[in-house]
Parts: sequence; C-alpha cells; structure tokens
Amino acid sequence: MDIYVLVKQVPDPEANVKVKSDVELEIENKYFTNFFDEIAIEAGLKLREKFGGKVTVLTVDNKKVDALRRGIAMGADDAIQITDPALEGSDPFAIAKTLAAYLKDKPFDLILAGRQAMDDDAGIVGPGVAELLGIPHVNMIVGLEIDDPKKELKVVREVEGGKEILSCFLPALFTCQKGLNNPRIPQVMNVMKAMKAQMKKVDLAALGLSAVDVGGQAVKIKVQKYLPPPKRPPVKMIKEDFPENVKQLVKLLKEEAKVI
Amino acid sequence: MSNEIWVFAEQQEGKVRRVAFELLSAAADFSKKTGSTVAGILLGSGLQEALKSLTSYADKIYLLDDPGLAAYTSDAYLIHMAPLIKEHQPSILLGGATSTGKDLFPRLAMHLQTGYAPDCTGLTIEENGKLIAKRPLYGGKVFAEMIYLEAKPQMATVRNNTFLVNQNLNKSAQVIPISSPIDPSSLKKKVIGLEKAAGAKLDITEAEIVVAAGRGIKAPENFKIMEELADVLNASVGTTRATVDEGWRDVKDQIGKSGKNISAKLYMAFGVSGAIHHILGIGTCKTVVAVDTDPNALIFNYADYGIVGDLFQIVPALTEELKKAMAEK
Amino acid sequence: MDKVDVIIVGGGLAGLSCSYELADSGMTVIVLERGDFSGSKNVTGGRIYLNPLRNYLPDLWKEAPLERHVTKELITLLSETNSTTLELYSDRFNHLPYPSYTILRAKFDRWFADLLSEKGIFVIPQKNVNDLIQEGGKVIGVKTEDEEIGADCVVAADGILSFLSEKAGLRKPFQPQHFALGFKEVIALDSKVIEDRFRLGEKEGAAQLFLGTLTKGVMGGGFLYTNQESLSLGIVVGIQSLNQREPREEVYKFLDEFKERPEIKNLIRGGETVEYSAHLISEGGIHIKPKVFGDGILLVGDAAGLGLNMLVTVRGMEYAMASGVLAGRTIKMAKEKNDFSASSLSHYEKLLSESFIMKEMSNYQHTLSILENQRLFTKYPQAISDLFEKIMTVDGNPKEGLYKMISRELKKEFFNFQTFKDWLEFRKI
Ligand SMILES: Cc1cc2nc3c(=O)[nH]c(=O)nc-3n(C[C@H](O)[C@H](O)[C@H](O)COP(=O)(O)OP(=O)(O)OC[C@H]3O[C@@H](n4cnc5c(N)ncnc54)[C@H](O)[C@@H]3O)c2cc1C
Ligand SMILES: Cc1cc2nc3c(=O)[nH]c(=O)nc-3n(C[C@H](O)[C@H](O)[C@H](O)COP(=O)(O)OP(=O)(O)OC[C@H]3O[C@@H](n4cnc5c(N)ncnc54)[C@H](O)[C@@H]3O)c2cc1C
Ligand SMILES: Nc1ncnc2c1ncn2[C@@H]1O[C@H](COP(=O)(O)O)[C@@H](O)[C@H]1O
Repeated sequence: MDIYVLVKQVPDPEANVKVKSDVELEIENKYFTNFFDEIAIEAGLKLREKFGGKVTVLTVDNKKVDALRRGIAMGADDAIQITDPALEGSDPFAIAKTLAAYLKDKPFDLILAGRQAMDDDAGIVGPGVAELLGIPHVNMIVGLEIDDPKKELKVVREVEGGKEILSCFLPALFTCQKGLNNPRIPQVMNVMKAMKAQMKKVDLAALGLSAVDVGGQAVKIKVQKYLPPPKRPPVKMIKEDFPENVKQLVKLLKEEAKVI
Repeated sequence: MSNEIWVFAEQQEGKVRRVAFELLSAAADFSKKTGSTVAGILLGSGLQEALKSLTSYADKIYLLDDPGLAAYTSDAYLIHMAPLIKEHQPSILLGGATSTGKDLFPRLAMHLQTGYAPDCTGLTIEENGKLIAKRPLYGGKVFAEMIYLEAKPQMATVRNNTFLVNQNLNKSAQVIPISSPIDPSSLKKKVIGLEKAAGAKLDITEAEIVVAAGRGIKAPENFKIMEELADVLNASVGTTRATVDEGWRDVKDQIGKSGKNISAKLYMAFGVSGAIHHILGIGTCKTVVAVDTDPNALIFNYADYGIVGDLFQIVPALTEELKKAMAEK
Repeated sequence: MDKVDVIIVGGGLAGLSCSYELADSGMTVIVLERGDFSGSKNVTGGRIYLNPLRNYLPDLWKEAPLERHVTKELITLLSETNSTTLELYSDRFNHLPYPSYTILRAKFDRWFADLLSEKGIFVIPQKNVNDLIQEGGKVIGVKTEDEEIGADCVVAADGILSFLSEKAGLRKPFQPQHFALGFKEVIALDSKVIEDRFRLGEKEGAAQLFLGTLTKGVMGGGFLYTNQESLSLGIVVGIQSLNQREPREEVYKFLDEFKERPEIKNLIRGGETVEYSAHLISEGGIHIKPKVFGDGILLVGDAAGLGLNMLVTVRGMEYAMASGVLAGRTIKMAKEKNDFSASSLSHYEKLLSESFIMKEMSNYQHTLSILENQRLFTKYPQAISDLFEKIMTVDGNPKEGLYKMISRELKKEFFNFQTFKDWLEFRKI
C-alpha cells in the first residue's frame, strides 16, 4: 500500500501560550509532534507491516521538520517537507490546498492525518485535502480494518452515544484519534537515523501553486483579536469536617452557583 | 445573497440534537439585530418527529427526507447541501461541534471556498450581519475572535451548552421540502452499523453536568459509585487519560487535550490531579468542583469549590445528600 | 548489537554537559533520557552559580534561558509567631558577569538538549535504561526495554538514585541519612508583581532561605527563588531526622503550613501553582561518594554523589555540569589511546580532585553532622527572633536599657555550655 501521513510539529500542551498583542501570540519554544499525527503514523506503519508498500510522512512547514523526523524514527520510509516563504500565514485551508496539490498526482492508496493539530485545534486539513482530491474521508476514527486494500474496508468513528461503522473503498483519507492505537516509541538506532536524515524539499512552484493561493492572501477568515482565557475566581475550599463539608457543598451548588 | 441564517439541524435516529435548538435560539437573537430569517436544514429519513420538534424554533425549514439519507455520511450530506447553499446563499451557516459537525463542516467549507470557524465557544453578530466567532486555540490557553472576509456563508461549529435553548420562540416554520434524488451508487462510503454505547447517558460533550473520576478511583469497578452519583444528577461520567490508559474506561469518556472538550454547566472531579492536559478540556465549564486527598493537587487551582477528602467517603455521601436536595425541588 | 562510541544515561545537567564536551570530538554520542524530554523530571530549588562553571563551559551562557540574576540574598529565621530577616544587597551582584542566577530546569534542560541535537549529539527521550551489559567486569553497553546498545564507554548520569552505579558495583547501598527530601512548587506570578514585592529591578532576582520552626525541629529549611514569571518555593528536610520525629508528620503538610505563614502568604498572593514536585537530595557529602570510574564506565553529577547541602543551600548543579565536562575530557583522552579500561578512565578521578568540586566537598565535609543538630532548626532561630522582637516592642511598661536587655537575653539563651559546643561545631562549616 502507498500511504501518506500528514504530520505537524506543534507546541507541546505544556508550553506557555500568551497573548502578546491583539494579533500576536507569544509561544514558548516547546514543540512536539502532534499527538494525533503519531497515531496516524502508527496506523500507517501497521498497514505497511501487513500489506507491504511504503509510508511517506509529509509536512508543510518552513522551519520545523521534527515531526518528519519522528515519522522516520518510528519507521516511515520517506519524508517530504513542503516549504516556501509564501506559505507564511497560511490557514488550514491553504495548508490543505498545498498538501492536495502535492498529493494529486501521487499513487496513493490511503492518506492519514490527525484529528486536529494541537495549536489551531481546527480539524480542517484532513477533510479539506479529501475534498480537493475528491476522495471519501472519515473524521476522527477509532477503528480501521482492512482485509484487502482492493476491497471494501471498515472504519469506525465515534459518535455521541455510540460508534458508527462505515465502509468504503480506497483511496480514502482518515483522520485519527486516540483509541485507534498506541503509537510506538522509536528505537534508539532509528532515532539516530532520523536525526541524520535529509528531508526532501518541495516548493510551491513545483506544485503549480503561487503566492496568491496560500499564505495571508488566501484566508477567508482571520483573527481580529486574541484574548486570554477568562480568569477563574479563586477556589473556595470547604473546610468543614466530613460530613458537614458535603452538606455545605450541596448548599453552595444550589444557592450560590445555582447549578443544581 | 439572501439574508438567511441557517442552522444545521443535526439529528440522529430521527431525534434532533439539543445543540441545534441552542443554535436556533441564538440565531433568533441574531435575527432581531439583523432582520434575518432563521432557517433550519434537516436531512435524514423518517423525519416527522424531528420536523415537529423544530417548527417552533425556525422561520423556515429546508427538509430533505429521503431513504438514501438514513445514515449520515459526509458525501451524501455534501451532495445535497452544497447545491442548496449555492442556490439560496445564506449569509451564515451554523452547526454543532459534534462528531458529525466536525466531519461535515470543514469539507463543506472547502467545497464552498468559504470561511469556517470550528469548535466555537461564542458567537456575536454585528448589525451589518458580520459574524464574530470566538474559539479557543492551543487547547484553550488563548481565545481568538475571528472575523470573516468576503466569502459566504460564514460557517461555524459551536460547542454544546454555549447558548441556552429558548423554548418560547413560538415560531411556525414554513417547511420547504427539497427533493434531490441521488444515485446511492455514486456515494463512496456508507454506514453499515451503529454500535450503541452501553447505558443511556448523554455523551460527555452534551451533558449539562459531568462527574469524573481519575486514577484516584483506584479500580474500574469503583466507577459504580460515580454512576450512582451521575444518576442522581442526570449527569454523565467522564474520566482522565490515566484511567483510559489503564483500560478502566473507554476513551470516549476521556476529558482533555487528547480526549474531549466539555462545556458543562457543572463539572465535578474526584481523584483527578489536574494535569494541564486534563484542564485544557474543561476550560469552558461554568462551575467546577474538585475533591482530592492531596491539598496540593493542581486541580484546586481550576476549581470553584474544593474539598480535601477521600472520594470513597465523599462520593456516596454526596449522592445521598443530592438525592435529598433533588427530592425537595 | 548496534554500537556507538559513548552512551550517556540521563539527560540532566551532568549528562548533557558531558555530551557537550564531546560534541566536536567526532565520536558518536547518545544521551538516553527516560522523561518525555530533558528537564521533564528534574527538580531543582533553582539557583546556579556561574563563576565556577565559566572555565568549564565558557560559551554556553550567552543564549541560555536563565531566569534572573540574584542581586539580593535574604535569610529568614522563623519562630512560631515571628521572624527575623537578614537582607544582603551587594552592588557586586549586579555587575556583569553576574555570579548567580535562578533557573527553571524544565526550561533550561530542554533548551540545552535542543542545542546539543543541533551539534550532532543524539539526545533521545522516552528511553529508560534498565540494565548495564557487562562482560568480564567491563561495561560494554546498556539495555532498554526493547534494545541492547553497545558502547566503548557508558556515562552514568542517572541522578541521585543512580542504579547504574550500583549495577556496576561502584557504590554501597544507600542509607536514609544520606538523603534529604525536597518539595517544591512553582507559583506563577506576573514579573512586575515579583519585582515590586521583592523590590527588584528588571531581571534582578532574590534568593531567600528560611530556617526555624517551619520544619518543626526536623533538619532542613525552606527556600524561595524568584524566576522571571514565577516563584520557586520549597522545603528541604532530612529523611533520617524526619523518620525520627515523634509524632510523625506528613511532609507535604510542612510546605502547606509554610505557605500559610504571613511572611510567605503575602509574597505568593495571587499566584497560581503551576508545578508541584518532590525529589531526593544528596546529604552524604564526601563520605558516601562512590567510586566514580570503572572499566568502561564513569559516574557524573548526582550519580557520582556530587552534591552538598549546606544549611539550606543545596549545591549540585555546578558539580553536575563540571563533572560532566571532566568526564567528557577523560573520554576524549581515552579515545586517543583507545583505552577505556578503569586505569585509563581513572584520569577522571584525578581531574575531579583537582577541581573546585572536590575542594568544596572536602571543605564542607562536616556539615552533615552539624546539620543534625536540632537546635539549629529550633532554638536558635526562635531565640534570635524573640530577642529582635523584644528590642522592637514598645509596650506599656518602661523600656529597659537596650544593652541590659540584650546581654540578659544572650546570657539566658546563648551563654551556656551547649551553645559553646555548638559554636565550636559551626566553625567547621
Ligand atoms: C500529549 C499528552 C496528552 C494528554 N492528554 C490528556 C487528556 O486528554 N486528558 C487527561 O486527563 N490526561 C491527559 N494526559 C495525561 C495527563 O498528563 C495526566 O497524566 C493525567 O491527566 C493524570 O490523570 P489522573 O488525574 O487521573 O491521575 P493522577 O495524576 O495519578 O491523579 C490521581 C489523583 O487522585 C488523588 N487521589 C488518590 N486517591 C484518592 C482518594 N481516595 N480520594 C480522592 N482523591 C484521591 C491523588 O491525590 C491524585 O491527585 C496527556 C498527557 C500527554 C503527555
Ligand atoms: C528541591 C531541590 C532543590 C535543589 N536546589 C538546588 C539549587 O538551588 N542549586 C543547585 O546547584 N542544586 C540544587 N539541587 C540539586 C540539583 O538539582 C542536582 O544536584 C542536579 O540536578 C544533579 O544533576 P544530574 O544531572 O546529576 O541529575 P538529574 O538532574 O537528577 O538528572 C538525572 C537524569 O537522569 C534521568 N534518568 C535517571 N535514571 C534513568 C534511567 N534509568 N534511564 C534513563 N534516564 C534516567 C532522569 O530522568 C534525569 O533527567 C536541588 C535539588 C532538589 C531536589
Ligand atoms: N502544516 C501541516 N503539514 C502537514 N500536515 C498538517 C499540517 N497542518 C495540519 N496537518 C494535518 O492535518 C491535521 C489537522 O490539522 P488542523 O486542521 O490544522 O487541525 C493534523 O493532525 C495533521 O495531520
């Protein structure tokens, strides 16, 4: 199977992110490979183990390629960085456009992405790429069963109150989330290989795109203002002994917070 | 362009999701400012009940009742909705940030080449009809107010419990049946089954009250006391990644950065230490209660009410106490 | 088995510094760290002295993410109801190069690891080393959960409970009196608020130590360091002394009660605890130092027992970094001779003993026994604070002459045989 995995290096959930000005953020320099993308890589590797073929990791980023390295360390065969100054300021739609432009003439069977990137938390790129390539997608899958890549396969996605089982044919795109698998921790020797690996670079011209297609010029929705999260009032500790504290809590929920 | 605000009236098995009513209520408010028409768009099969439940909430309902739409797939919905949107050109299209909303809207927005704000926690409108969407970024460490440029419709998915349902809208919608027979064979994927989750509780993203236990609950069977507490409050039971990784709970109940974001009116956490990854999932909950044996547990930083105590003592007592309080109501 | 030149186990300051020294050597060096990233599991009070390190790591500091340079030293003696603070501000602390900084390890170590990766060192997180591979008494590699990797030389930089040093037969089993327990919270506060509360200029920092009733007679004390946008507040207590205390106390309560003291409460007001951690600290000093080299193995930093607890100032970071560099130098020399035997690696011991590390460790070799003196944590802080309070109090009664009062109080509290003995002991510090 020819599998492409879309990956992104994002700020660690532990990184500080602060509002610097109305339109600027200050992001602490703590990055990691998007958690959901690792799940996507793992899914790709498992399928390759079963059916053979190739797993290629793909990122659009002018600087950060560690997600690609993570992919190689985990076992991906190939890594591609799409990079171009004109890409600065791209939104997820422009990223999807760029990725689709790269993928459109590739012989892919399956494209895997993460449920969402842990920075913009958008969940747009995956379905966006599928739309542009005209292939089916299923978002946020927690199960994937392929017996034969030529035949109908089964995917499971979670819906409120249950799980939905769908079937479709390849080529298709799935976005992956927790529950699908537990990503492997790469072996030391593979990490070393990955750290030395050269990424293949592709620019916009090679994709037949130009600056107006991506970057700030292509956005259809933009940030007017960043805001810090609303501040919580300080905690009220209920200090009475048991069972008075429970009674007190119920009273507060009823009379002060008015939530029950 | 028409001056319509559309709400995607998502239904499952003929029952319209609550979030759709929340959005229709918000849209009714918006329309007071902009003079817009509020329209619901309802797709599926066997929609009599669903339609009935909606009519008092909208001015118009676009109805696509077709056996081919018995189950949601993005392909089928897209094929039906896209031409309709192109034809009527609503200025706004809203949906719930549900599994289905998050599956459909990004693809639809890409198809329509328009702006889309996912997973919003607030929407406001200006008199000229310009929508301002508020959404959390970086898991809720910052929020962004987004504005749309020229393209229409202005699309957004919105979290559950962001708006209140207004039951007194008293509209009587004009129903506009749409027939667009599609060739089922043209669809590339189909739903072959639905596995219901055990128990009848709402998904944690939809519930107004969520009670959760973390590793402090010590063993999977102890979740029984949480279920009992939840029953009294009509709440759903959430949890942390720690218990999911232990295999004690299903990942569908995991709250946090790699799980779900909840926006409950009341969230109560028992034996949850309050790691940032978890906290990021509860940022938009209104009232937060924390119970933990460790007075230094970080969860207390994010709580409105805290008790330092043993959950095995507190939870059963709380269940009893709440039973009394509910009976008084 | 795959093989590299050097495996460093532990991506703390010691391990990272060792790899830094080896970065341009042409050797393949890997650092294996069990945490999600370097610094993710490190706990440090948070103060580092740069002067001794400038000779070892001259180029590291320009870009390093340090917090604030310390311009103000405070020592607070606490009794039940009052406290006395001694404050030292010296202009010398405020001239470049600054002698000491506050530091947050999660940030610093991560930055350091990234820098090393750029220099071609393989810093690999999420790798727990669970055994050494030995052949005829010689260390030839390490085992992780699912791999075996060989090396000419293994550096044990695995911190205070170093189990590699034990596996290599280089140290005796630990005793509780060799350890203190440290608890620490990082409390986020606006940088302006910090500067106002501690009366500091921009980027300037304060280091405050606390002795007295906060540890309830247990050997130890408290510390408070100002970071750029947070405070590091903690308590250090001796484990032996803690175990001997009757009634037993839960240690985390010490920190809680400490935070409730008005002296602290007002400093941390409005802050939010963003991190809470506990960690062991070496107390044994030179007496428990293991053998720091063996066939194919070197020990550095806390793993080599290089740490001091002087009153409540914990020292370990400079030792960790400098020892790492010295181990690196030794390895380069060994590589030239292509001899990684114990006798070749013994050069490290020599470098260590010529360095400031072993000089300091030997100068402070009596601290531990002195610190065991309970009066240091109970009687003396109490007496000094009480005396100060008396001097400052004006009540309804006519105030007696200052000289008379002080000499009476001093006689009562201090001029006795016990104090005299303590004093003789303290002079060894
Ligand atoms: C990339 C990434 C993503 C992650 N995503 C998520 C996520 O989405 N959601 C999530 O939850 N976590 C997530 N985590 C994990 C997170 O960091 C924490 O490890 C996890 O939240 C801890 O779960 P816990 O609070 O149940 O367990 P613990 O941290 O072990 O806390 C248990 C608590 O129970 C208390 N306790 C024990 N006994 C009792 C008792 N009898 N009564 C009362 N209290 C008691 C303890 O004092 C403690 O505070 C993620 C981590 C990473 C690295
Ligand atoms: C509360 C407290 C306050 C302190 N205050 C100060 C201070 O103000 N100033 C000062 O100079 N010193 C202070 N110290 C001491 C100082 O923190 C240590 O001496 C220093 O961190 C030692 O560095 P290290 O690299 O040897 O060990 P560590 O920093 O402990 O690093 C060891 C690393 O090895 C990793 N590791 C361990 N075992 C394995 C394994 N099997 N496989 C893979 N990786 C492993 C660990 O995850 C860790 O990252 C303080 C210590 C504490 C606890
Ligand atoms: N810059 C990018 N390069 C490659 N893949 C990306 C990029 N951004 C997002 N993705 C993929 O799309 C998913 C969803 O991202 P988003 O729509 O930004 O939330 C991620 O989990 C990745 O799999």
